[in-house]
Amino acid sequence: MLNDRITVTAKHEQAADVVIEYLADKLRPKFIITIGGEVGSGKSTLAYALAHKFKKQGVRSKIVDLDDFYKISPLERKSWRRANGIESVGPDEYDWGKIIHVINDFYENNVSVMPCVDLITDYVDEISTNFEGVDMMIINGLYATKISQSDLRIFIELTYDETKEAQIFGDKEEMTAFRKQILEREHEMVQGLKKGCDLFFDFDALVDKYHL
Amino acid sequence: MLGDVLLITEKHLKAGEAIIEHILKHRKPKMMIAISGESGSGKTELAHVVAKGLRKHGIMAKPLHIDNYYRIHPLERTEWRKNNGIDKVVGPGEYDWDTLNRNIKEFKQGISSTGPCVDLVTEQIDQLTTDYSGIDMLIIDGLYAIKTDNVDVRVFIELTYHETKKAQVVRGKEPQNEYRMAVLEKEHQEVQALKPSADILIGMDYSFRLAK
Repeated sequence: MLNDRITVTAKHEQAADVVIEYLADKLRPKFIITIGGEVGSGKSTLAYALAHKFKKQGVRSKIVDLDDFYKISPLERKSWRRANGIESVGPDEYDWGKIIHVINDFYENNVSVMPCVDLITDYVDEISTNFEGVDMMIINGLYATKISQSDLRIFIELTYDETKEAQIFGDKEEMTAFRKQILEREHEMVQGLKKGCDLFFDFDALVDKYHL
Repeated sequence: MLGDVLLITEKHLKAGEAIIEHILKHRKPKMMIAISGESGSGKTELAHVVAKGLRKHGIMAKPLHIDNYYRIHPLERTEWRKNNGIDKVVGPGEYDWDTLNRNIKEFKQGISSTGPCVDLVTEQIDQLTTDYSGIDMLIIDGLYAIKTDNVDVRVFIELTYHETKKAQVVRGKEPQNEYRMAVLEKEHQEVQALKPSADILIGMDYSFRLAK
């Protein structure tokens, strides 16, 4: 993601500390953390806070946002979803083949080419990263914890109503009836992934996350 | 730039609106806007809100961040500057203007373009490929951005590092130390020298005024 706006709060910092403590005796080379949860729940913010704390410990981590891997580009997605119906919304919208490819590049220390959405233009750029020397990958996204190579699965709690408001404040997408339907469907599918997770957080998003 | 933290506030939005109004009055195809100012003065924030705001007017603008074009790798820069003398080397010469100018030329031609993109988390330099065929405008930000050739609107933020020391700490980008202060002072001299070429001045209080 290019031009994403991240606001780290004390809660995210504390959550990152919990994760680091939890992993103290579990870390190994080429470690993969996945962070799942609904839109606006704070996945990418936690990823960012975690990556910075690990950096201070000398662990170099690459943040990968699953939303870069949608098969349909942002500018076409709305009409594609409308044309294909609400049932088309879900994990199948993502290019898992490409994601697995990037994970393999990470394991093999390859140079990897990944899609990278610019949130200002909504165009999909391409980013090329050298995974040589990268110790950890932190993958965040609605269905990130589905990734079988995950060494740690984190789930961020957030009720649907909170998400809805966070959406409005977050200014990422405007709220429409169809958008609401999508969020409800994503909510069901994301909740279905909860039981397989190792750690759970709830940032109670609205209190101080969006300070505008 | 990946993993950058933006602190966008009301003042950026307000100044951004005034800049957008000016841009709309002087609009032309493949237009180039440049925003200069000292470290921590809010260049990237301003570029972000201007680019985002232009979308509402049907203009696809892409921010281009000059700090991606440093010739010396982030991890080696401090030592390189110390070895070569801060007073001697800190300035526009630290940037790879050839690559920047090639990327700008490719934007003008409306073709695909690959340039450096620093990941602030891994401290690696990724390569970013953008298809410029649908991009109408570039918003270039950086200490010396208004030095760039063929810029149509030059914006200069008057805030100096003396006023923004606090912002630096909040952003937590770099620890405050003697070396950092010496760099900021040299950058201050170099940046202030560019002020006479500005078309738009953003004051200490982020007020907008035309230079001439």
